[in-house]
Amino acid sequence: MRRAIVFFIAAVCYAQGPAETGRWTFRILCAPCHGIRADGGRGPDLTLGTFSAGDSDADLIRVISRGVPGTEMAGYSGRVTDDEIRSLVAYIRSAGHADKAAIRGDAATGENIFWNKGGCGQCHRVGTKGSTIGPDLTRVGRQRSIAYLNASLLKPDADVTPGYATVTVVTRDGKKIVGVERNFDNFSAQFVDLSGKYYSFVVEEVISMKREPRSLMPSTYGQLLSETEVNDLLAYLNSLRGGR
Amino acid sequence: MKLAITLIGAVALAQDWTSYGNNSLGWRYSELDQINTKNVARLTPQWMYQTNVPGKNETTPLVFDGMMYVTGPSNNAWALDAMTGRPIWSYKKALPANVSLCCGQVNRGFAVHGHTLFKVDLQGTLVALDAKSGTVLWESTLEDYKKGYSATAAPLVVKNLVITGMAGAEYGTRGFIDAYDVDTGKRVWRVYTVAEESWSGDSWKRGGGSTWITGTYDPSLNMIYWGTGNPGPDMDGEGRRGDNLYTCSLLAIDADTGKIKWHFQFTPHDLHDWDAIGDPVLTDLVINGRTVKAVIQANRNGFFYALDRTNGKVLLSKAYTRITWADGIDSDGRPVAIAGQEPTEEGKRTCPGMGGGHNWQATAYSPLTGLYYFTSAERCMLFYKTKQEFVEGQWYQGSTIGRDEPGNGRIDAIDPKTGKLAWYFETVSSPTGGVLATAGGLVFAGDAEGYLIALDARTGKAVWRFQTGGTIIAPPVSYALNGRQYIAVAAGQTMITFSLPKF
Repeated sequence: MRRAIVFFIAAVCYAQGPAETGRWTFRILCAPCHGIRADGGRGPDLTLGTFSAGDSDADLIRVISRGVPGTEMAGYSGRVTDDEIRSLVAYIRSAGHADKAAIRGDAATGENIFWNKGGCGQCHRVGTKGSTIGPDLTRVGRQRSIAYLNASLLKPDADVTPGYATVTVVTRDGKKIVGVERNFDNFSAQFVDLSGKYYSFVVEEVISMKREPRSLMPSTYGQLLSETEVNDLLAYLNSLRGGR
Repeated sequence: MKLAITLIGAVALAQDWTSYGNNSLGWRYSELDQINTKNVARLTPQWMYQTNVPGKNETTPLVFDGMMYVTGPSNNAWALDAMTGRPIWSYKKALPANVSLCCGQVNRGFAVHGHTLFKVDLQGTLVALDAKSGTVLWESTLEDYKKGYSATAAPLVVKNLVITGMAGAEYGTRGFIDAYDVDTGKRVWRVYTVAEESWSGDSWKRGGGSTWITGTYDPSLNMIYWGTGNPGPDMDGEGRRGDNLYTCSLLAIDADTGKIKWHFQFTPHDLHDWDAIGDPVLTDLVINGRTVKAVIQANRNGFFYALDRTNGKVLLSKAYTRITWADGIDSDGRPVAIAGQEPTEEGKRTCPGMGGGHNWQATAYSPLTGLYYFTSAERCMLFYKTKQEFVEGQWYQGSTIGRDEPGNGRIDAIDPKTGKLAWYFETVSSPTGGVLATAGGLVFAGDAEGYLIALDARTGKAVWRFQTGGTIIAPPVSYALNGRQYIAVAAGQTMITFSLPKF
């Protein structure tokens, strides 16, 4: 059958203890967003020992049952039993390495780097500050793991956020315009250049238009920033939890 | 060409669109040529009907007697005045809360016999409606939805029988194709798509093989051709060792008795969800100087096939997309499998991905160009295997869902005599919609971003487009009314028609 959009999930009852039972349920139910090892992907990393919507078992049970309004996290009560939800919590606890050491930097120093030396605010927004050319980072500490953020910072092309690809248009007068995608389809391109200027073209009006799965973010942060500064910046990004 | 069509028979009046594939051979070809390559640039919207029902709209509307009959998501249907788009009657069937559906509350259209319309509802029922009023004439239950059975495909009318498939291969069901009497709704025959042989243990009892896309019919052979879906659980084959007949197969069925005359299995012991449900298109091909009654299909496993439809022998096969799981197809039609491509716990990357090269989207064959048109994707996916215990009526896929890698799509035109690509039109996203070919030398197709596109059927050049404002999943159709040719397609929640300006 076609690729499933909605899961109605079976009981998975292997008698190896709740964490192992939960692991198999997790693979079917949660892995598409949270990763096959629970270490995150498009959904948050669940191995850090700290969670977006509360750290207690009761918090996790609530989130799995009811979802998180305003996010892509759906509620699963009715699709899985209470026992299965408990086994999922057991698995998530067992998968977590509570690796606080992963956050080695200083968030306050990182904030300074973000807005000054790093120039991140020229493209990214946090709360009401910064620019909207690139993805909004207001909640990124909830949305992405440290490892993912580290990879995105040092190799921006590794996994470009959908909708933020690079669009290049060559106009009839031979001018090449490059920017961040706002829409791209079979007959038109809309994008914003790095000065924030918005463009819209239809295919007949230009020599060529293309969209590439690469980021316009500089790939030079590994050279620009010391390892300590990278860690500080990651600590700051990890501290961005939305609100206010 | 018209003569040839008449000889094969079973073709509707050219003005109307009266079945899923327009003729029983599955061509999805309109003989109307008022809209053609010379004037298509002037094609303009005529009316829209907003259903206000959310969900994916996959319907093929039927048009006859001045009416358009449209099915929609969530057990809805409408009769619209074909000239103005104004609603005349509507139908809705309540949906129980716990119907198991893998892929949305979709429906792909009506079938018609005389003045009786037939459609399936999601809870696995087949209903007959009076076309004039929408009154329910009879209703039959295919199988218990509580066991995971459902239905989404447009039925196929063959003589006095209405033939229907089912859905639910992700829920441990056993697939079948049913025939019901058009007048009474009594079941005349059933053919199971899962044989008891070629499955380890009793795994056949929940073997899948669903039949969720409409088949085709050759009156000269009195044979129905219907594709079957994946075995279950999809990605874990350990509990179902063997070829798993007749999943991922094409069945040729005697229309009167329901007996299987021959079968052809494209993907034995499938582990990648490569249903063989693409339209089985019936056409006669001249291969090596010999005219052969053929059935053609761009299979989800990445190969294009032409089979002899009298006996199921493979005539030719050719890859149309990137394939990493097989080195080709042998002379018996069996894939030459490459070892180590099975899904694993850690994930194994294979091409094509789960959506395949070409999935279910409606295809078209034009006797004018002799070309076969379909949408395709070139992409790969990480396939995971996950052990899962069977519980009746519950999700039973034996996998986690990996994400198909982002990939472009194409609208392909293949010469079915050779399997060679004649042209392709590249699209920025994976394909969503089906295609229509017309005697005006045009191919129409919708895309993921909402464009309805007209291509030159000979060259693939885009010659017209319209932004409909909603993703197009349904295939377009064409009909004529009061001397004007129309193109119609469901886009988003809206049915839209186009014609040339009157003045």
